[in-house]
Amino acid sequence: MCAVATLLALAMATSVSAHKESDAYLTLRTDPTDTHRMRGQWDIALRDLDYAIGIDGNHDGNITWGELKARREAVERYALGHLAVQGDGLVCTLEPTGQAVDEHTDGTYAVILFDAVCDKNIPSRLTVTYTLMYDIDPYHRGIVTLHAGTRTAGAALGPSRPSASLDMREPDRWGEFTSFLVDGIWHIWSGIDHILFLLSLLFPAVLLRTDGWVPVERFWTACLDVVKIVTAFSVSHSITLSLAVLGFVHVPSRLVESGIALSVLVAALNNIVPLVHRRAWLVAFAFGLVHGLGFASALTGLQLPPGAMAASLGGFSVGVEIGQEAIVLAFLPIAFALRKTRFYRRGLLRWGSWTIAAIALGWFIERAFDITLPWFSVLMPN
Amino acid sequence: MEHLSPARCGAARRPWLPRLLIAFMACGACMARAQDATPYVPARDDVVLQRVPPRTDPRVRQFDTLRAAVAAKPGDVAVAVALAHAYIDYGRSTGDARYLGRAMAVIEPFMRTATPPVPVALAHATILQSRHAFNEARAELEAVLRRDPDSAQGWLTLASVAMVQGDYAAANHACVQLANAAGGFMGQVCSASLRSLDGHAPQAYALLTMIEDPGPRAPPDIRAWIEGLMADTAARMGKPDVADGHFRSALRWAPGDNFLLADYGEFLLDQGRAAEALTLVAGDTQSDTSFLVRVRAEAMLGLPAAAIDTATMDARFADMARRGDHLFLREQADFLLHIHHDAAAALALAELNWKTQRAPKDARVFLEAALAAGQPRAAAPVIAFVAASGMSDPTIDPLVAKVKAQP
Repeated sequence: MCAVATLLALAMATSVSAHKESDAYLTLRTDPTDTHRMRGQWDIALRDLDYAIGIDGNHDGNITWGELKARREAVERYALGHLAVQGDGLVCTLEPTGQAVDEHTDGTYAVILFDAVCDKNIPSRLTVTYTLMYDIDPYHRGIVTLHAGTRTAGAALGPSRPSASLDMREPDRWGEFTSFLVDGIWHIWSGIDHILFLLSLLFPAVLLRTDGWVPVERFWTACLDVVKIVTAFSVSHSITLSLAVLGFVHVPSRLVESGIALSVLVAALNNIVPLVHRRAWLVAFAFGLVHGLGFASALTGLQLPPGAMAASLGGFSVGVEIGQEAIVLAFLPIAFALRKTRFYRRGLLRWGSWTIAAIALGWFIERAFDITLPWFSVLMPN
Repeated sequence: MEHLSPARCGAARRPWLPRLLIAFMACGACMARAQDATPYVPARDDVVLQRVPPRTDPRVRQFDTLRAAVAAKPGDVAVAVALAHAYIDYGRSTGDARYLGRAMAVIEPFMRTATPPVPVALAHATILQSRHAFNEARAELEAVLRRDPDSAQGWLTLASVAMVQGDYAAANHACVQLANAAGGFMGQVCSASLRSLDGHAPQAYALLTMIEDPGPRAPPDIRAWIEGLMADTAARMGKPDVADGHFRSALRWAPGDNFLLADYGEFLLDQGRAAEALTLVAGDTQSDTSFLVRVRAEAMLGLPAAAIDTATMDARFADMARRGDHLFLREQADFLLHIHHDAAAALALAELNWKTQRAPKDARVFLEAALAAGQPRAAAPVIAFVAASGMSDPTIDPLVAKVKAQP
């Protein structure tokens, strides 16, 4: 009866597919009150979701609001896992904020409300990469609309064209520079490993090692030492930061993060069992190369036209400098004032360095071997 | 019944007459919502949002069985093609185009090879044909038939594509090859379809009468299909009463078949039986072809619902345009001409449609639009085609005469 079954093909000769094929509607708009967030709404047909992940729990042919609510998490995981939003190449995280439904011309759609939280202020170029349902319906299309103030861009995304971009605003080099500058400052202030490394190198700057530690006589002696250390650190981390962000160097992040932990450990131990003192700036320079790769992780994927790239990368580097200078400026006068005290030499230099070494060892073990030390992670953020 | 509106639009368990009234009013509200599409949170958990095919539907259980088989044997061509055809057939009878995409996804892994297996290429050609990619479907079929000249399904599908394209010589060749590959019965149906189109409707009808009863073992879909062909052919012979009987009998064999509903509905509209057309498609509002019949019937009857349903149909066409698809050119031309009375726009679409589709209904809307737009000469390609092919149909012949009579 095979021949008869094939007969059916003819019946279709002049027939049409009487329904629209599968679409979903995705809208992203900037929020004038919050420069880090894009507000998103994604309408996906219940029929499609039912086919993809199952919504009609009791299989009675009726999808109820209760059944959809029960599958909220699965719907969000499925959908948002097939969407990437990038601002200037930097990945924005997608956070679901609500669930609703919506009527379209071909049936009821589930509505996923979400925020795209972009690391930066409103990026100059927003890119959406859409891969929903490609494996189960190649004719599915994502009808994407991007709104930035008065600008709008739209596209129908499918397997042959999965990405769309919108230039969100006119180039604003100064704005880019300052916004990345602020990011750079925060990056070093919130990066406790960078701070501990710097402090470990700075502790002995107000002392001289002869037999034991002897306080330096003049402030400028200490200051010169500090300037050498900080400059060496800045120069080296700027080099690797630029190379990594521009894509010339790529080192796996596990290696970089372990290297940073190791640098903190070595710098702290050097204060307890001094190996290098006069040339602490060399240590700063060598390990600064590793720290620069760590800074670059904040900008992984950054894609900008050359002018904007220079402004952004420059802003970030300067921000990191300002952040670390601020730490140095706060540290140096206090250290100089306290340098003759027992508290400074025993308490800070010796026990402080031991503490830092212990923390750094914990980080190193966690990062290098990709394990979690339970007692440690409670005490210290990774 | 998969394509009823969501229950909040209709009210499925009420008696018939109030149900119709409520459907008219409530669906107006739905559609007003459809246009601005404002998200809302339903009031209660037991609100039914969407009908989907239930597990009690044997075809759905068949999908599950075949899907499990595909999962168990991922590289097995036969199982994958069986699932793809199950989706294609379901999409056909319900008119739900989503199933074409699902079928495509099933065969896609095999399509990535340099020469996909013949059954896969045939399934692919059928999907292309269903999506109105006739040129691509034809190229695929011709390539398959060079590899496997005995493929009955290949020749049959090629014949139907060639008929839609108006290439009757190619269709005739395919029908002959089909008869060689699959026997007289198949060849006869194929030839009858072609004869019905190229101006030999009485001969076609006689051929179909001979095979009208293919025996008790023939599936109902085959009988529905032959009855549908007989209905079209009888209408072409100017025998509407005979055609009507065949349409009814076709729908007895395949109740709710999306293609038959639209075809019969359009026939009823042509006969001035708008009220019957409206009743016919009342249960199938989610199908665009049925909905078009509904809108035209409402307009002919001067019903107030016509305005709101016209807006709904506008929105549906707008949604199709947003995805970049233009699969409904003929239907849209028809809609623009008869509902919006925008002859110029209708003519532009009919002209575009004619580049890929040359069935009698395609010829008709082109002629109607050209006359209504006061540009009868624009329809010259149709006049030439009718003269060359011998196409003859009571819905077309007077229009051809009218165009020819114009200076």
